[in-house]
Amino acid sequence: MQQQKNWLRYTTIAASLALGAIGWEVAGHLTSGAFWAPLSATLSSLVEAARSGVLLKQGGNSLELYLTGLLLAIAVGAPLGMLLARVAWLRVALEDYIMMLYATPMVALVPFILSMMGFGFAPKVLVVFLFAVFPVLYNTIEGARSIKPELVEVAHSFRSGEWQLWRDVMIPYTLPFMMTGIRQAIARGLVGMVVAEFFLSPSGLGQMIMMGSQNFDTAGMLSAILIIVLLGVALMDLGRYLEKRFSAWKGYNP
Amino acid sequence: MSLRAGAGNLSAAPVSPFVLKAGAGLFLLVLWEIVVRTLAPGYVARPSGIARVFFTVITDAQFLAAAWATLAAVAQGLFVSLIAGTAVGIMMGRVAVVEHGLRYYVNSLFATPMVAILPLVTLWFGYNADARLSVVVFAAFFSIAINACDGARSVPMEYLEVARSFRARPRHTLFDIIFPSSLPYLLAGIRLAAGRALVGAVVAEFFISIPGLGYYLLYNSRTFKHNEAFVAVIVLVAVGVGVEALVNWLTKRYLPWSRRD
Repeated sequence: MQQQKNWLRYTTIAASLALGAIGWEVAGHLTSGAFWAPLSATLSSLVEAARSGVLLKQGGNSLELYLTGLLLAIAVGAPLGMLLARVAWLRVALEDYIMMLYATPMVALVPFILSMMGFGFAPKVLVVFLFAVFPVLYNTIEGARSIKPELVEVAHSFRSGEWQLWRDVMIPYTLPFMMTGIRQAIARGLVGMVVAEFFLSPSGLGQMIMMGSQNFDTAGMLSAILIIVLLGVALMDLGRYLEKRFSAWKGYNP
Repeated sequence: MSLRAGAGNLSAAPVSPFVLKAGAGLFLLVLWEIVVRTLAPGYVARPSGIARVFFTVITDAQFLAAAWATLAAVAQGLFVSLIAGTAVGIMMGRVAVVEHGLRYYVNSLFATPMVAILPLVTLWFGYNADARLSVVVFAAFFSIAINACDGARSVPMEYLEVARSFRARPRHTLFDIIFPSSLPYLLAGIRLAAGRALVGAVVAEFFISIPGLGYYLLYNSRTFKHNEAFVAVIVLVAVGVGVEALVNWLTKRYLPWSRRD
């Protein structure tokens, strides 16, 4: 019975993927080339881009931008969040503003960045950074708010020093929340990357998409979009893995 | 907002949280003002400049039309995504074949930054409001579908067994059991979707140059009227925070039984 179910499941999945591929191919042949390109054309365009080194260069550009922005966001957001976790008055003072910035569509700031900082690498990193930093901060603070005061009191009663308090209470308690924040930052940072590549100086995968659309090279555009989809899926899986890995003890309430 | 003592020793704080928050806000505004006045060129937005133009902009017919255009597109797109996303999500959650058939598509499009398909969408719809609406729908649909699916899957087995024992009709099972118990997930999905929809609409306006808050923002910042442009940011922040607060309130008020965080 179980075996039969598994068999049915894999058949359905395979059938749906095959149907999607056929649908993509057929849609490309039925419509005008400006609207949609067949899967075969998209893949051959992708192979061509990979062979000529364009894909490696543009993809590398994109990743460089993305990783710089994301790592900066984590490097700033995580320690700041931890600090706010420990210093309660500062947290109370700032948490509403951080929540506000967390809910703000950061893309609204892109025109300001463009007009003040112009083109170049730094403004684009700033965009990715702004997209990614607030989820880390916000979630770390959420974690800090969930720390039970008794835990800290017990630690104090046992004469924990500051370092021990951090090691045994603060970090274990806020880390899972911070990981949730990092997962969100991984996803939002990717949006920031594409936005920066579209609206600041064109570069990377964003530029590939733009150029494809301007030259009516739909297959080229679709191949770049496909790469971004795959990148998105891989990054989301990575984020989920990180969150799961570090949340083994989340919600553990003795 | 209730104040939990948390880790630090808050009882030692001599001032009330409200004063602390207001003081921090004031401090940040003053800091912004000073930094811009001393370091940045004159056109850069600063609190005093924004305050000066705020009422002129917010009562300006053109600005109001722009805000209306954007928010209406977001609302429409969210509505479409909500209906379609809930239907697809609940089907995926309850019918294994549908789940296996759609899972890869929904998951991977959920993970895709919808900004990336903007050029494609403009090829399909042209440079007009339809393109904006479709970007909003693309941005919002998948988060709602995924959350509705999780919600439909989280229905406690016992409820369904009881329903079956009482020979409940399928539509009763759907509307009285599956749908209500998916609601907390659905609300979480809407919160996520609203944020993404707002981003989608603004980015679409940057790209397509049709009237709306995004275009207002872009146009004014290009002509170095940063103070005016910033009013549009304030409206966007207000909408973002408003949706967040509304969903949180709805969850607390009407779904207190939900055990999600």
